Amino acid sequence: MRSFSYTVKDEVGIHARPAGLIAKKAKEYESAVTIEKDGRAVKATGLVAIMGLAVKKGDTVTVRVEGRDEDEAADALERLLREIL
Amino acid sequence: MKTKKQSKAFGVLQRVGRAFMLPIAILPIAGLLLGVGSSFTNPATLESLGLSSVIYEGSILHTLLSLMANVGSAVFDNLALLFAVGVAIGMAKKEKEVAALAAVVSFLIMNTAISALIFARGGVDALPPNTTTVSLGITTLQTGVFGGIIVGLGVAYLHNRFYKIRLPQVISFFGGTRFVPIISALAYTLVGVLIFFVWPPIQRGISSLGQLVLESGYAGTWIYGIIERALIPFGLHHVFYVPFWQTELGGTAIIGSQVVQGAQNIFFAELAAGVDKFSVSATRFMSGKFPFMIFGLPAAAYAMYRAAKPEKRRAVGGLLLSAALTSALTGITEPIEFTFLFVAPLMYGIHCVLAGLSYMLMHILEVGVGMTFSGGLIDLTLFGVLQGNDRTNWVRIILVGIVYAVVYFLLFYLLIRKLGLKTPGREEDGEESRLYSRADYESARRGGNKGGKGGRGAHDFAVSALILSGLGGLDNLRELDCCATRLRVTVNDSSHISEASLRQSGASGVITSGNGVQVIYGPSVSVIKSALEDYIDAGAPPLGEAEDSENENVSPETDGKSQVMSGGATETLLLSPLGGTLVPLDKVGDEAFAIGALGEGIAIEPETDTLMSPCDGTVGVLFDTRHAVTVRTDTGLEILMHIGIDTVRLKGEGFSALVKPGQRVRAGDALIKFDLEKLKRSGYSATTPLTVTSEKGEIEVKTVRGGAVTVGQEILKVKTVN
Repeated sequence: MRSFSYTVKDEVGIHARPAGLIAKKAKEYESAVTIEKDGRAVKATGLVAIMGLAVKKGDTVTVRVEGRDEDEAADALERLLREIL
Repeated sequence: MKTKKQSKAFGVLQRVGRAFMLPIAILPIAGLLLGVGSSFTNPATLESLGLSSVIYEGSILHTLLSLMANVGSAVFDNLALLFAVGVAIGMAKKEKEVAALAAVVSFLIMNTAISALIFARGGVDALPPNTTTVSLGITTLQTGVFGGIIVGLGVAYLHNRFYKIRLPQVISFFGGTRFVPIISALAYTLVGVLIFFVWPPIQRGISSLGQLVLESGYAGTWIYGIIERALIPFGLHHVFYVPFWQTELGGTAIIGSQVVQGAQNIFFAELAAGVDKFSVSATRFMSGKFPFMIFGLPAAAYAMYRAAKPEKRRAVGGLLLSAALTSALTGITEPIEFTFLFVAPLMYGIHCVLAGLSYMLMHILEVGVGMTFSGGLIDLTLFGVLQGNDRTNWVRIILVGIVYAVVYFLLFYLLIRKLGLKTPGREEDGEESRLYSRADYESARRGGNKGGKGGRGAHDFAVSALILSGLGGLDNLRELDCCATRLRVTVNDSSHISEASLRQSGASGVITSGNGVQVIYGPSVSVIKSALEDYIDAGAPPLGEAEDSENENVSPETDGKSQVMSGGATETLLLSPLGGTLVPLDKVGDEAFAIGALGEGIAIEPETDTLMSPCDGTVGVLFDTRHAVTVRTDTGLEILMHIGIDTVRLKGEGFSALVKPGQRVRAGDALIKFDLEKLKRSGYSATTPLTVTSEKGEIEVKTVRGGAVTVGQEILKVKTVN
């Protein structure tokens, strides 16, 4: 299993668009991806579920990836988060 | 592209033609009062009828008749105002009463502005003679009904543009509909000034054009007649003949000490003044209607009856007889003309030429019979027979009419048979014909009775249901109106129109152009329209057993609910959360939506400002910025609606949530209200994508429609495969 934490710097947090991009990226890999805020974890493939976390600027999320392609998946997701959030 | 433009122009002209019908509709009664009143107070008429000892000045009967004449005359004297108000009401899309008020204000202000300039520039004497008039006590330029139409059209435009305007908080009291009379008043002050400078040259132009028409003699009359008839199929004839009847184009005359413009106005002024002989130069735009309306068309109806198959004659007889009677009595010709226009356009062409010829013959034969509305027996009696042959030469109408009856009968009978034209009662067996439709109509009526509503109401319901389904259902309707003989409808998608259903409902013809549809019913159309409106107001209840196919179009039973189909798959119809225009997701100008990162779906360019739930379900996520919301269906679909692009940056300003996360909603419940104007003003795109995702497996999303959409119309069909 791979995991990383990320603190959101984007002014408006994880709203619909970034949530969509995360979910789309997570679906590209076989590995199971979860995203967690304040002890609440949701599947990262669920756009609405991610939005439901209501992540704001300054919140820290933890992404966990487990599966055959977890390395690539974790790297890709970390890059994405840095890029858009 | 060109056709799109054309049909848009057709739509506008259709609405203009429809708007003219409101002020025109008052003319028959006003004409009746004026006709009867002035006929029986005219010393010459009384003398010839030997009534001088019964009706004399000062007698009760004379006073009563004078009163009738004056009351009728009041309508004709103030036609410009009536057109201003009538056209404004007809052209205004909503809040029509505000447009009416604005039209009155504008009409007064325009004339007052002109008046001020006239007096500032040396008064009436400084202008050429016959170019000024007194309207409602205001000395102004003689603009005739044109002046009223300019006010009506302009006010309607301003109204449709501004009636929803929002003004800054301090002066917000003057926003919305209150703004319309204000802006109209300002605009028409300027229009008045403009008219003062522009109108006199136009007056000269129109009078020389009128002069040209007047001087082109008999050929001019013939061409006038042909064009007038040829415009009927487009419903545009009002636009063409009204200027001839009501403005300088139809001639100018001095009657008594009054300057009168327009053929019909001249005739009625002469009627009121009791001239010895009516001016044929004016009545040539009218008298030509009598021979073909009273004689020609009914003869054509008889020819169609004779040409029908013997076994079908009885069935078509009723239809043809009532259409023929309507034409002969009232001069409303559409019912009979539309029975052959569509199936035999050639006959309509011949009819136009003959109609033109009738106008020309009346001109040559110096027939001076006018009319209030059209050329039926009622008008012939009032304005021909009662006025005496010496003044009108009405007997010549009968003579020409008899010839016309023979010519129409022979031409129609022979050509229908020779060319095998499919006029009513000549359809091939097995072909859908009106006779069969009538039977359907009857069964629909009986079905309605069974429903327990009984009598007339049930009958109307059945007919209304047929019409509504023929028009593509309630969802397809955008505007509904009518003129003397047609239902005039604007629909969202004219491909949903079913001509067969409309004909079953009793229509004699259907014309579609772009999104404009005209359904011809004849003079009873206003009743049909009212019944249809009542039916729609009642929520368009399905007819039950009478019209099973109705349920699909009318009943909202399946909308917004998920249907479980065989094999565990489900199908959900999503309704539009907003009214506006549908846009494909890849055109919304946002990468994330365009690549489908947020799911498949569609976007709406909104014109409404309250986001409705597209389906039954539970509110999922509602950001505290309130610009996006998700609804989850019981079958596991997540529907995301995102109001505007990038609107997260507005931080909730202008958005108010009407629901809470976790709340159950039904399709059509309001979710978020937002300030559409403010959104646009802040420079954001208001385009609202609606996307669907599912965490329970594959889904298939299909768009159901494109283009214009109203709240609650079906937009997407989503299938899940488990």
